[in-house]
Amino acid sequence: QFPALRSTTETKPKDLDYLNPKEYTIGGIEINGVKYLDKSVLITITKLAVGDRILVPGEATSGAVKNLWAQGLFDDVSLAINHTSGDSVFFDINLVERPRVSRIVLKGLTKTETTDIQEKLNNQKGKIVNENLRNTITNIITKHFYEKGYLYTTVKINPVNDTADVNSRIVNVIVDKKSKVKVNAINIEGNKDFSDAKLKKFLKKTHEMAWYKVFGSGKFLRDKYEEDKEKMIAKMREKGYRDAEIISDSVYRHNDKSVNIDIKLHEGPKYYFGNITFAGNAKYPSSLLKQILRIEKGDVFSEEKLDKTLRSSPSSDDVSSLYLNDGYLTFNADPVQTRIYGDTVDLEIRIYEGPQYTINKIILKGNDVTNDKVVLREIRTKPGQKFSKDLLVRSQRQISQLGNFDEQKIDIKPIPNPADGTVDIQYTVVEKPSDQIELSGGFGGGRVVGTLGLTFNNFSARNLFNLKEYKPLPRGDGQKLSIRGQTNGKYYQSYNFSFSEPWFGGKKPIYFGISAFTSLQSNGLSKGNPSLQKIRLNGLTFSLGKQLKWPDDYFRVDYAANLQQFKLNNYSGYLFQNGDSYDLSLSQVFSRNSVDAPIFPTSGSNIKFTVQATLPYSAFNGKNYNNLSTSEKYKFAEYHKWKFETQFFQKIYGKLVLKAQAQFGFIGYYNKDVGQAPFGRFKLGGDGLQGFDFLQGSEVIGLRGYSNNSIVPEGAVTTAGSPIFNKYVLELRHPITLNQSATVFVLAFAEGGNTWNKFSEFNPFNVKRSVGVGARIYLPIFGLLGIDYGYGFDAIPGNPDANKGQFHFSIAQQLGGFN
Amino acid sequence: CKSKFEKLRTSTDTGRKYQEAIKLYNNKDYAKALILFDDLVQRYRGRAESEDLYYYYAYTNYKLKDYLSARYHFKTFADTYPSSPKAEECRFLAAYCYYLDSPNYSLDQDNTYKAIESLQLFINLYPKSDRVAEASKLILDLRDKLERKSYENAKLFLDIGDYQSAVIAFKNSIIDFPDTKYAEEMEFLTIKSQYLYAKNSLETKQEERYQEAIEDYNAFAEKYPKSVYLKEASDIKDDALKGIEETKKILELYSGIKTEKKDEQQ
Repeated sequence: QFPALRSTTETKPKDLDYLNPKEYTIGGIEINGVKYLDKSVLITITKLAVGDRILVPGEATSGAVKNLWAQGLFDDVSLAINHTSGDSVFFDINLVERPRVSRIVLKGLTKTETTDIQEKLNNQKGKIVNENLRNTITNIITKHFYEKGYLYTTVKINPVNDTADVNSRIVNVIVDKKSKVKVNAINIEGNKDFSDAKLKKFLKKTHEMAWYKVFGSGKFLRDKYEEDKEKMIAKMREKGYRDAEIISDSVYRHNDKSVNIDIKLHEGPKYYFGNITFAGNAKYPSSLLKQILRIEKGDVFSEEKLDKTLRSSPSSDDVSSLYLNDGYLTFNADPVQTRIYGDTVDLEIRIYEGPQYTINKIILKGNDVTNDKVVLREIRTKPGQKFSKDLLVRSQRQISQLGNFDEQKIDIKPIPNPADGTVDIQYTVVEKPSDQIELSGGFGGGRVVGTLGLTFNNFSARNLFNLKEYKPLPRGDGQKLSIRGQTNGKYYQSYNFSFSEPWFGGKKPIYFGISAFTSLQSNGLSKGNPSLQKIRLNGLTFSLGKQLKWPDDYFRVDYAANLQQFKLNNYSGYLFQNGDSYDLSLSQVFSRNSVDAPIFPTSGSNIKFTVQATLPYSAFNGKNYNNLSTSEKYKFAEYHKWKFETQFFQKIYGKLVLKAQAQFGFIGYYNKDVGQAPFGRFKLGGDGLQGFDFLQGSEVIGLRGYSNNSIVPEGAVTTAGSPIFNKYVLELRHPITLNQSATVFVLAFAEGGNTWNKFSEFNPFNVKRSVGVGARIYLPIFGLLGIDYGYGFDAIPGNPDANKGQFHFSIAQQLGGFN
Repeated sequence: CKSKFEKLRTSTDTGRKYQEAIKLYNNKDYAKALILFDDLVQRYRGRAESEDLYYYYAYTNYKLKDYLSARYHFKTFADTYPSSPKAEECRFLAAYCYYLDSPNYSLDQDNTYKAIESLQLFINLYPKSDRVAEASKLILDLRDKLERKSYENAKLFLDIGDYQSAVIAFKNSIIDFPDTKYAEEMEFLTIKSQYLYAKNSLETKQEERYQEAIEDYNAFAEKYPKSVYLKEASDIKDDALKGIEETKKILELYSGIKTEKKDEQQ
């Protein structure tokens, strides 16, 4: 278009001076080298327009080039001045158009590898085919396999014309990943005090291949190797060899399938701590700090140990915790090695105390579903308090206990304002799905059983009638609603409902819960049939609970009022067969729970003491219990029940956690003539699951290695359960993954338990023992699923199949229990 | 056998696909239109039709209530075609998508802040636009939400009995939002919280803390002489004065016992 505009007064473009840009009006823009793209659109993209006044050279001209490059359509972009005329400038934009990638086809890989790599290559689609693209693709693929231990991958790239689309290419990529590379030999040089074997052990994930190593295949993985080298040096330093370092190392090809590793070390002498002094401490005396540091002159020098007692003890009994729990947020301790003589290192620990910070604002982020108040009311760092690390940790625990957030991703960041000595604390949370659904059809007791259960852990009852807040249900107030129904038609039906609010009234952490159930079991005959056997149970429970401030705020007390109605019709299995019975009881639970996480606890304890009692009806109803019919006798059940349960979690080595648990329960009677109540007894043995045919009249307690409910006192005939039980568990647990989408851990256990009819027979050491292994998987939507294999050592008289090897499946939607 | 749409989707006839996509959009079948647009925007990059196409593409996401994608595409449109007559509209809609994604006050307000920021940017870029009035109104709406959040969260401390925290939080809220409609109520609640804080303190600390409540009251009475809270506030002040008297008595009694004990020992 514009050659016509060329005037006769045209001038040759002079050399541009970058120090002295001149202002021009754009007279015209010519695009060269484009065959497939629209020139006017490209001019729009440059953001240069004919008639604009711009500086040449200037931002607009460099911007034009940049904008064109950003399209990723060209192999080369350049902008030149064709000529200037007066104060008009005419640009030439020279573009090198290249074909684009329409598809990338991978050859020589398995299906999963292909999908993995396709995903990584997705960004390359639509880009132009040039040398850069070849390099990028080759790098992505070789890196992918390098990380997996294939060191010698080759990649061939072969683009062909795509007939379906103009100016595009199908890029064929032929990959040969060769074989996985293993470690043939590791040669370590320069070590005197450490043996080769010991040092090789420090290289945790890199080891020589050997036929007897079933686990740890001897694969060579570069990034693991790099980590291992650092770990090896750290281990040596930990043992007092503070000068230890790797002088050089090399990984070289042994054959097509393996590499050798040479490591040259400088070991250095073993050092010991000398005199340790403190400087700069005003708040606490050196003698106290020294006591906390727990390092004596003559101890083996270890920076790790020093760091632990100075800064990062897991039980927070270190020097910096002392300060950080007292508001000194910007506290800093710097150990300076003041003198090294022979094998002794003198230290001066220079302390900067800084001001004592007061908490000002609490900021909460990331709660996209849960309302502010649900989280804020649990947070222990309150405006006006002195900053404290302990309170931060405690707040984190409180938030993770809510169950609505990903425990691993709770982030707490103190933001100090040194100007006024205050600190804002920002809590960032990530919501996780906490609702659970249970939908199953199963085969139990010889019949098909269907179950539908829904648990909403973050319900909002106040928005029940506010349709705007349905997403898809009213959520965000931290209330819990659960409904569950189970039936196989006319033989068995059970319906449960429960609702709870952790902050009843919104002012104090008072837990309020209401739950109701009804269940029915019968032989399926119609109502009028004289041989109809049937039991119906109805129950209603109100509970109130409260956290205590004393002895500490891990304690809580809970009260509950329970009413249960039993309606029996020709039903054997209880102490009487016909009639109605009522069980109205009050219970009090006193508990302390300091377990650090609900799904996979690693520390803390859980102790629970329960008393449950009915009124002693027989003492005042004036009935003579000696000649009452059984149904009359049990019209109002009377008993008092005591339970003590405790469990401890402790990290013992690495990620290995020990769980120790003990349980004891006893149900007694007020009146000898009435005797043991038929309800509320303990059934011991098996998976501890309330089976499909469970009737709410008894308490089911698991004991792996024995079949369900099999452990009964000798000579007991009733199926209603036993009045006394005890149980001990030792369990080692190791996590496989602590991911939020699935937590998996394996466990090995040894446990024992027994039941008795009378206290006179009770012997806490006479237990049925078992050992076994198992695994648990927690899926947010299903709860905790488990499988165990247990071997019971002790035979149950009269029940030959009850012990020996037993498999147990379990599902627990309630976490933190004693199962 | 593939459906008609499936055939169209996999075909390479981009021209027909373009026509069909627009037709689907006009027939309000946005889900299907989106599938075609997704594919087409890639292929039409750098061609004349791409401007219109991208505009439709952004609107399709908007109509499907995927405001996250929509705001991204509206913004990209406005950045790519700044001289387009539709740029202003798209810049506004990008901000409006943030507005639509801003949740209830009691949830994380990240999108609220971003909405305010991008609406303000819009006003700065197009000060003469017809949409400026609406943008300003939306900003007010969003600020209202932030004020309410600040107020409610401060009040939570009072509700759950953390009186000292409540005092600090109310004061911070007034500093952060000086012209908030909750200012008067929050200043009154500061007095109330300060009084309760004093009342629940150790006797030795009470006088000073009551005194602060009284000072807060004096400032309040001067600032809001006709406040509906004035009566209640002055009752609190009277209680605070009584409280001071009582603690003084208790402390006197206590020091009296102490000196008596000392005398006895001597």
